Amino acid sequence: MARREEARAEAAFLRGDVGVDGAATEGDQRDAAEVERGKAREELLRERTWLGRELLTWLLWRSESGDPLVEVEGAGLVVLFTSRITLRGLAGEVTELTARGAQAPYSAQVRRALDAGLLVHQARLRFTHGAGDAEKVYEATLDAEHLDVRAAKLPELLAEEEDDRVLERLFLAGQLSRFVDALVTAFLEERASRGWAKRTVPALKGWMQGKP
Amino acid sequence: MPIQSGAVTFARFRSEPAGARPDAKRWLVRGLRKKAFEPLEARRPEDDRAAGFVELEDHDAAGFEAGLFQGEHALFAWRIDRLEVPAKAVKAEVDRWVAAFTAEQGRPPGRREKAGRKEEVRQLLRQRAEPSSKVIDVSWNLDTGEVAIWATSRKVVGEISATMEEVFAVSLHAVSVGATATRSKLPEAALGPTAALVGLGGQEVSRGQA
Repeated sequence: MARREEARAEAAFLRGDVGVDGAATEGDQRDAAEVERGKAREELLRERTWLGRELLTWLLWRSESGDPLVEVEGAGLVVLFTSRITLRGLAGEVTELTARGAQAPYSAQVRRALDAGLLVHQARLRFTHGAGDAEKVYEATLDAEHLDVRAAKLPELLAEEEDDRVLERLFLAGQLSRFVDALVTAFLEERASRGWAKRTVPALKGWMQGKP
Repeated sequence: MPIQSGAVTFARFRSEPAGARPDAKRWLVRGLRKKAFEPLEARRPEDDRAAGFVELEDHDAAGFEAGLFQGEHALFAWRIDRLEVPAKAVKAEVDRWVAAFTAEQGRPPGRREKAGRKEEVRQLLRQRAEPSSKVIDVSWNLDTGEVAIWATSRKVVGEISATMEEVFAVSLHAVSVGATATRSKLPEAALGPTAALVGLGGQEVSRGQA
């Protein structure tokens, strides 16, 4: 075989166009929708992302009442979903849906999408900790996969000295982290209990379907 | 410097052990110096990227003699310098050379000649290029073990957390719901996807095919 031909054959093998026997390999025959669903499935499985999505979906449902969901350092923590929410899922033709608007997270459209099998993947949350003069309000965007804190707004700093301001900022960022951890703990407790399948999921589905 | 001001965006980890120890300062400084930032100039010319720890308040310093602690927090930063030669600039320079070569020799340069020139141009432009620099803050509460890497790019976060595990001989655990469930030793059977929520049939979920 001429050198040029040899090089061409090797390049085809490296590209994956042919196998070791030189015969053509099967190309990716799946259609775009199938490829997309495969990607969505992989994303759901990675790092048990479904648990993060179920957490955020459960939190959306539980937060609608406006009641404190957990206690952190002796004070109640109220969570409210604000403005932007991203849903992702496997079922149906839609794998991602983003809703914007002050009331969007609790809207009938979002609930219908949840009922159709999408789950909350990313959301903007407002955390209100404490009450009265001690009340502090934080905001952050959370994602289901890593629970990273993004673009958070912390309560106004009280300290005046530069070093003290850094410490206060670190303390407030730590508090935000602790709120998320407290919600995760509460969710996992419920998620691992027998009541999850018997009571929580039917109630959550009922809420999605707008049942009283 | 996001720890001091600006956007509050961070990836969260928990270190095991937490990090509080009698010789914390010496231990931290020793660890940070093991992977201290070294500027690109001082390294081999073929390196286009340099990364390492620097002081939070002075990104050119890697001695960590002062300013490492704020209360119970250890504060430092990870600096990444990158030397990038724009492909567009290389192409323009090579195209100019090809035109001059063709006019002079009466033939276009061969593939090997062109490749050789391209590498020469790249090296030449590299010497003139200024490295771009990116700094990511890291805060570590040594009492609680909470580690915040003030970035969310998984590639960078992964690089920093892996380096910290290596130089400090600690484990950094992610705090995602999945990782927390694993650490809490909750029964595996209770943690599969909820079929009614993820929009899959019960059989598919129980087979672990979610």
